Formats: sequence, structure tokens, C-alpha cells
Amino acid sequence: MTPIPAGSYFELDACRRDFITTERVFPSTKTNRSLPVLSLSQASSSEASLLPATEQLQFFSPPLMDDEYSQNVLHPHHHQPHDRIKLNVGGKLFETTVATIRSGGPDSLLEALSNRPTHDQDPVFIDRDPEIFSVLLSLLRSNRLPSTASRFTKQELADEAVYYGIESQLKAAMSPPPFTGIDASIVTTIRPASDGFPSAFTAGEDGSIWLAHGGQISSYDWNLLHAGSIRTHLEVITSIRRVYPEIAAVGSETAAGLHFYDFSSGRNIGSIHWTDPSDPRIYKARVNAIADSSSSVFASFDCPHNENSILVIDKSTLQIQSEFGRQRGSSAKNLVPGKLTWLPETGLLFGSSVNCGAFGYSGYIRLWDSRSGNVVWEANEPGSGRSSRFGDSFADVDVDEEDSTMFKVCSKSGDLAMADLRKLGDDPWVYLQDKNPSMMSNESRGGGNSVIHCYRKQVFVGREGGLEVWSTVPDRKMCTEIENGVSEGLYRKNFVDKVEDSERGVIEKIDGGGDRLFVSRQDVEGIEVWECSNSSGAVSVL
Amino acid sequence: MPPLARTASPPFGFQQNKAESNIVTIDVGGQLFQTTKQTLSLGGPDSLFARVSEVPSSAQLSAPFIDRDPDLFSIFLSLLRTGNLPSKAKDLDLQDLIFESQFYGVEPLLVNSLSNPSQFEAFNLEKSLILPLNGRDSPSAIATTPLGSVHVAHGSKITSFDWSLRKKSTILTRFNAVDSLLAISPSVAAAGATDFSGLQILDLDNGFIKETLNWENVTRSSSTVQAIGSSPQFLFASFESGRRNSNCIKVYDIHTLESVAEIGHYEIYGAELDSAIPATKLNWVSASNLLMASGSHSGPSGVSGNIKFWDIRSGNVVWELKEKVDCFSDVTVSDNLSTIFKVGVNSGEVFYADFRNLGAENPWVCLGDRRKMISGKKEGIGCKIECHGSQVFCSKGGNIELWSEVPMSCVKNNDDGLEERVFRKNLMGKVKDLGGSRITNLAFGGNKMAVTRQGQQNVEVWQSSIRGF
Repeated sequence: MTPIPAGSYFELDACRRDFITTERVFPSTKTNRSLPVLSLSQASSSEASLLPATEQLQFFSPPLMDDEYSQNVLHPHHHQPHDRIKLNVGGKLFETTVATIRSGGPDSLLEALSNRPTHDQDPVFIDRDPEIFSVLLSLLRSNRLPSTASRFTKQELADEAVYYGIESQLKAAMSPPPFTGIDASIVTTIRPASDGFPSAFTAGEDGSIWLAHGGQISSYDWNLLHAGSIRTHLEVITSIRRVYPEIAAVGSETAAGLHFYDFSSGRNIGSIHWTDPSDPRIYKARVNAIADSSSSVFASFDCPHNENSILVIDKSTLQIQSEFGRQRGSSAKNLVPGKLTWLPETGLLFGSSVNCGAFGYSGYIRLWDSRSGNVVWEANEPGSGRSSRFGDSFADVDVDEEDSTMFKVCSKSGDLAMADLRKLGDDPWVYLQDKNPSMMSNESRGGGNSVIHCYRKQVFVGREGGLEVWSTVPDRKMCTEIENGVSEGLYRKNFVDKVEDSERGVIEKIDGGGDRLFVSRQDVEGIEVWECSNSSGAVSVL
Repeated sequence: MPPLARTASPPFGFQQNKAESNIVTIDVGGQLFQTTKQTLSLGGPDSLFARVSEVPSSAQLSAPFIDRDPDLFSIFLSLLRTGNLPSKAKDLDLQDLIFESQFYGVEPLLVNSLSNPSQFEAFNLEKSLILPLNGRDSPSAIATTPLGSVHVAHGSKITSFDWSLRKKSTILTRFNAVDSLLAISPSVAAAGATDFSGLQILDLDNGFIKETLNWENVTRSSSTVQAIGSSPQFLFASFESGRRNSNCIKVYDIHTLESVAEIGHYEIYGAELDSAIPATKLNWVSASNLLMASGSHSGPSGVSGNIKFWDIRSGNVVWELKEKVDCFSDVTVSDNLSTIFKVGVNSGEVFYADFRNLGAENPWVCLGDRRKMISGKKEGIGCKIECHGSQVFCSKGGNIELWSEVPMSCVKNNDDGLEERVFRKNLMGKVKDLGGSRITNLAFGGNKMAVTRQGQQNVEVWQSSIRGF
């Protein structure tokens, strides 16, 4: 990276006849999010002929050309991966190999540059900041970000990576290491500008999050940068699901209907309502839980007189497809499900309902065949007495889609139990034992106010303010035991948080997305973001 | 997203070196930079960048030399290339950047990247700055320019903050207290008071009165200013005679300050209350080229008022709304939403009236508890309501409500045959920002909102976080 003395190779160019100019098209907008277009003009491609060809080829966006003509005519000599290539970025010279530059992927701008003919030795000029480019070049060379990257904001790096078309490499290098609950720490708290108490949220695969707070939805991208906020007509959104990259399905426990909002335009693009056809009072039902598969959205609707049902909504038309699981809602056994999860492998819909009354917790877990709407398996608690833990009904339950396992936390003992979804029976539960001695002393018995969430083959349990994780110990011996049925010794329990963390408030909801865990607490502004890190975070005490 | 998809779109900086090429090499303080003529030309025709790019490369052997700090130059070069300030600008004081941008002649670009009205994100506004005012007077009036300069009148002084809110200057006026203030340009403001005769046009840089505009009323008494408004062409002032027996709205050319027209001249005979109310708020409705003038009067039988829409050219009233039940305590108009908004003085609730419905007997639709309309409690006293963009900001006590319209896919029609519009409110700010003393003024400029409170000798600035700073 040295400054180029002015004129040193400029004069050289003047006497050359054959050239391929890659000219910069005049920028009409200044945003670097816009996509680049190239215009190549070729005067002559032959070194032998001294007569300049009159033919001019002009076309747009050649880097994606895949037809043979352009490949053969314009790029007669392909670079070999070990060939070197020179780039002049904003006045600084960089030299790298074609292989490095091609690692940006077929869509990147640099890949397009590497397709220039070999006989053209002049560095290509790119009118961008050389310092950020050097960071991104290190990224391509080593697949990691150098420490100099800390001089730039995440936003700048992301913008520049979009310009060079290597956003996916940057995402891979910037995202935190794989999330494990045993070594996570709180990195930031996302706080919206107004109405900061999260009422519902949903995390995306890339670590982005859509956060409903009051009647607003705020979106934060994979860098956790605020991408925008919209206002819905609902006063409080209590369930949200991202059914398309730009479309959210929202429901409220205080207002009727399931509503679809387009995030880019901020518009309501459709509403689904359900009324109990057998009831003379036409009360529109409210939505308690939303799940979605690749083609459908499932939502549990609940009328004010407790009659409830699950609607299947077609994702492409946003119209009701079918209805199943309708029930009276007259007792705890047939209240509306408050949690719905789609299990893609089996095509089953998992639903659960928990009700806390004067006599303790009661509820049910049910699995429906989404096509027929039949109940495949169900468990009601408190049950018929066949259960080994009669009277210790669950406080919350969640299902691990990857492992086809189900976990519940008991309301009285606070114990965690698991069940294999492939071997469900009358009493499939295996109770996990707490063998961590440091956890024993900390007697916070009872499972009231517990939430449970399965993510990445780990089970996260929020008990009051504390956050704990149950994870498996990888061991070959244990694997054989799995064959024979789940072993209760497989899981180890650890605290994710510190005592100070737990004092911030009662954990309300946990959700995992990307390599992040998002935690919201009752009556606390903002959402906590937990991540793993490989840096030691050593503190100097000199 | 594939960055090189086959969409027609522009900027792309790569180019080969040719004698006739448009690559420009510049030597700034000993450091060499290379860029293209196109990038430099974005600085504008009067900038130093444009002049550097016009030097023919064949005419000189060495690169043009600029004797300035290369670090600052690289910031402006990044600004030209990407349209955004790089993060290293954050380490520098904004004053240095502004000073340097004036040297290069690219201050408009800097203003654009830091205080552009298009960066105003209503949902993302946070209380971010406090601008202290010296002395003991609380602000009485506030005015903003489109690029975000803020003028604050406190007592007999006017303090002006520049667009970056980093510099201020204070001038003394002849008023005891300024009641209405309007920014004509970043350095010129119109000021008036309800206890002082004449509308003064003040030069805020030098502190002198450029001009005093008076209304020659019949009684030959003084003429006090009740409200000031403006359109791109005109300056409006609502005058009342010192004896309070006549009032009118004068229209001036905003550039020459020559009197253009006099509309709504009322002389008070007998006990006709309605004509005795001078306009206390003037809003220009650019979509329909009308001036909205509103005024209210508090009497023994409650508060009554009127809202009139004036056609400037003919001097006629196009629409008039008489406010008897739950009169407005403040009223505003939104061009984008084609709607008038008011806060009811009794109910303290927000109402809207669709332009298309102004002829109806009661065009107001209550956005809150309708039953409070008839209460005599006057909960709405002191509430302020202002529109900016497509949002409505309403202050109630120490809090600000943000009202926005939710576009719905299926619309219901109400009694008037118009579709029912959905407006929803949010309380602005985080928990720690809520409350505080009563809000006396709300103003919008650039990407920020300025708020003054009763008894507080400062101006609160609400901004959404901007890139770079």
C-alpha cells in the first residue's frame, strides 16, 4: 500500500494502442447501496495488429455475462488463480492474486475485475476509500477481519461490502461464534426510541430481530442496526411472526384479528378475522399465537366467550385455507393454545396452553396433523394419575425442532423434563437431574414464572430473573444410550447469567436467532442480546 | 443481494489509467489522493474540487497541490464518494469540519449529510441535546429553518443556533417579550409581540432592525402582532389595534417586504364577539393555496373560536369553522394528510377534520374519548399541536404524543360517506425522558425537533441518530 507517484505509469499508457477501458459510469446517485454498472469499451484486442479496430462494443453489466460470446471475445485469456493482479483504490496500489479476489464469490465486483485479460498490466482504478478496501482485502485473504476494522463502524463496513459485492463474506466474519449457552454474555440492549417495553418479538435466521413494542414494530438488521419502525393500528401487539422477509403477521390479545403488515411501505396489507359461527353474538376473535410453515400461517383465535380454533392461512393469497382444533374453551383442557410451533420434518403443528389458577397450573400439549387437523397426540396436566409426577403440572413447554424433543418445566418442583417426539406414549417424560453442585445451594425452587426455549440443541430456562441453560455433553458412550432411549444423565445445567443480571426483572420471553439469544424482561425497557465471544476480555488491573 | 444484478443503476468507480482518462491525482498536504472527475464534480460547480478537476491533466506534470490537512480532505473525499460521512469524522470536532468545508466550498454537502430534512425519522427521535440559554428568562417563542437552524426568543433577547447547533449568537430586541417569531432565513427573522407595536424584521447576525412593518388602522392607535406565518412567497402577520377594536391580516412579499394585500379586516361594532377575535395562528396550506387563520376567545360562557381559510388573491373566506363546543386549544394543518388537527380545550383529546369534509356540520372526528368533549374541565389548556411531514405531534403537559396514520387495506366508510381513517398515537421518548415541565413550544427543522418547556432556560433537541455523528 504505497502512494503512486503521479505520472509514473500514466505516461506509459499514452503510447499503448491496445487497451480495454473499463470506464466509470457517471454516478447519478450517491448512495453506495445502488448497484454498479460497467461499461466496457474495447478498441482492439489484438496485440499483433497495429491498426486500431473501429468496432466499439458497448454494453452494460458485463460481469454477469455468462454467454460464450462474451467469454471468448472479451476475455480471451483467463487469469490463472495464482496470477497476480494490481488494483489502484483511491490512489493506493494493492497487489493480490486472482484466487483471493475470486473468493468474493461469482457476484462480486472484484470477481468481475479478475476476468480482465492477462496482457493488460495496468492496475484497475477503483474510486473508493483505500483504508476500508484494505480491511476488506484482508477479509478476502484470510476470511477474518483484521483489527484495523475497528476503526470503522459496522454500518460503514457493511455499506462498503455491499459496494464490492462481498456482503456474505463480511457477514460470516462479523457474526459472533456459534451460540452456546455455557459461554455467553450480554453484549448490548436494544432500546427503541419510544414505547420501549417489548410486547412481542421474533428473531430471524441471520440474527436480525423484529420487535413489537406497543403498537409499533421496529426492525433491527443482522448488525443490530435500526432498520426502521412502523406503526400498526393495534394498541398492543402480543404476537408477531415474520412470514415473509418484509411481511409480519401480528395479533393482539386486546383487539380482534390477525393482521399482515408490509414493512417496506408500512401498510396493512390484509386482515383475517374469525367468528364463532354457532354463537349468536358476533364477537370477532383475538389471536393468541402465530406459527408458519413454508406455505401456510397458523394462528390460534380465541373469542371473548373462550370458543377457540386454529386457522390455516395460505401464505400466497393471505386467505383462510382451513380450520381445525375448534373447541369450547369451557375448561383448562380446551382453552386456546398460547404457543404454536410448526415441526417441518413431520408436518405436525405443536401447540400448548397453560393456565394458572387458584389450584395451581393446568394445561395441555397437543400435536395436530396440519393436513387432516386431527390430534395425533395430546397430554393434559394435571393428568389422570398415570404420570409419575402427578400434581406437578408444567409451567411452560417448548419443542426442539432439530432434535424432535420436547421439554417442559414443572410448576411445583421446577424440574425439567424431556420427551422424545418419536416415542410418545402415555407418559413419555424423562426428568432431568440437576447434578451441578453449585446449583443445588441456590434454592429457587418452584417453576412458577418460568419460561423455556429450545435453541441450537440447548434448553434455556428463565426462572424469575435467572437464565439457565441445559446442554448435552458430547460423548460417544452416551450416544449408545440414546439408541436405547433418552438418558437423563445427558444434560448439564448451568447459569448463563450472573446474579446481577437476574436482578433486572422477571424474564418474559426468550428467542434465539442467528448466533444470538434475545431476552425480554417484564416492565424493563429494551431487549437484551446475548452472544458468545472468543476474545478473552482480559481486564488489566495495573 | 447480488450486487451486480442486471439492473440499470449507476455509480461505479473503476477505470483504467489513460492520458485522456478522467482520473485526477491531487496532492493534499503531501499525501497523494486519486479519484475521478465525476466524483469531484459532485462537490458542486463552485467548489474547490470542481476547479481541481477542470485542470487538464496534460497541462501539468505534477499533481495539483492543496496546502491543507490530508486527514480532513480524506473525509470530504469519502463524503463525495459515498454520500455519507465516514466514522473517522466522529473523532473530530464538527466545527473543524464546517470550517474546512467552507474552505473547499462544500458546506452544503456537509449540511445535507448531517441535517437533511429527509433524515427526519419521527419514530426514531430521541432526546439528544440540551441547548442552554443564558440569563433567567424562559423561552417564549421558537423558530426553525428547513436545514435546522434554531432561533429562540427569551425575554427581550433572541438567541440563534446554527444548523449544526454548535455555534450561537444572541441579540437584543426592543420587545419586552417576543410572542411570535418566524425564521425567514438563517440570519433573518420576523418578530412580534402582543404588547408592542409593529412587526420587526431583524437581522440576527448584526442585531439591527431591518424594517418595522405597521398596520395603519382606523383608530390610529398602535398595532400589535398576534401571529406570524409564511408561504414560499408571502409573509403574513395578524395585527390587532392597540385599542383592541379592530384586527386584520396583512400579506407582505417575503423577499421585498412590500405590502401585498390586507385581508380579513374586522372592525368591532357592538357585541359581536366573533369578529373581535384576531387570528393567533397562521398556517399556509400549500396544497390548496389557502391561508388557515385561527383564533379563540375565552369568555364567561366558555371558549369559542373560529378557523378560517382565506384565499389570498380574492381576499375571501373559502371555509369557516366556528368552534362552540370543545373549542380548540391549538390547531394545525397537514398538507400531506389533507387534514386539520386540533386539541379540544375541554376534552384535551385530539380531533381531525378531513379537507373533503369541511362543509359538514361537524367535521371533527375525535381520536380519543368522545365523552370528555362536554366536560367543563379544560384539560386541553396549554396543549400544543404541530404537523411535520405526515406526522402530528401533540404536547400534553410535559409529554409529547406522536400521531400517525396507519394505511389500512380494507376501509370502512363512516356516516359522511368518507372512509374511516386510522390514526394511532405513541408517547415519545424512553421512560427517563417522560414527564418534565409543561411544553410551551414545538418546532421542526432539518432532522430534528426543538422543544421548550415552562420555566426551563434551555431548548431540548430531539434527533434520530445520524451516521458519522
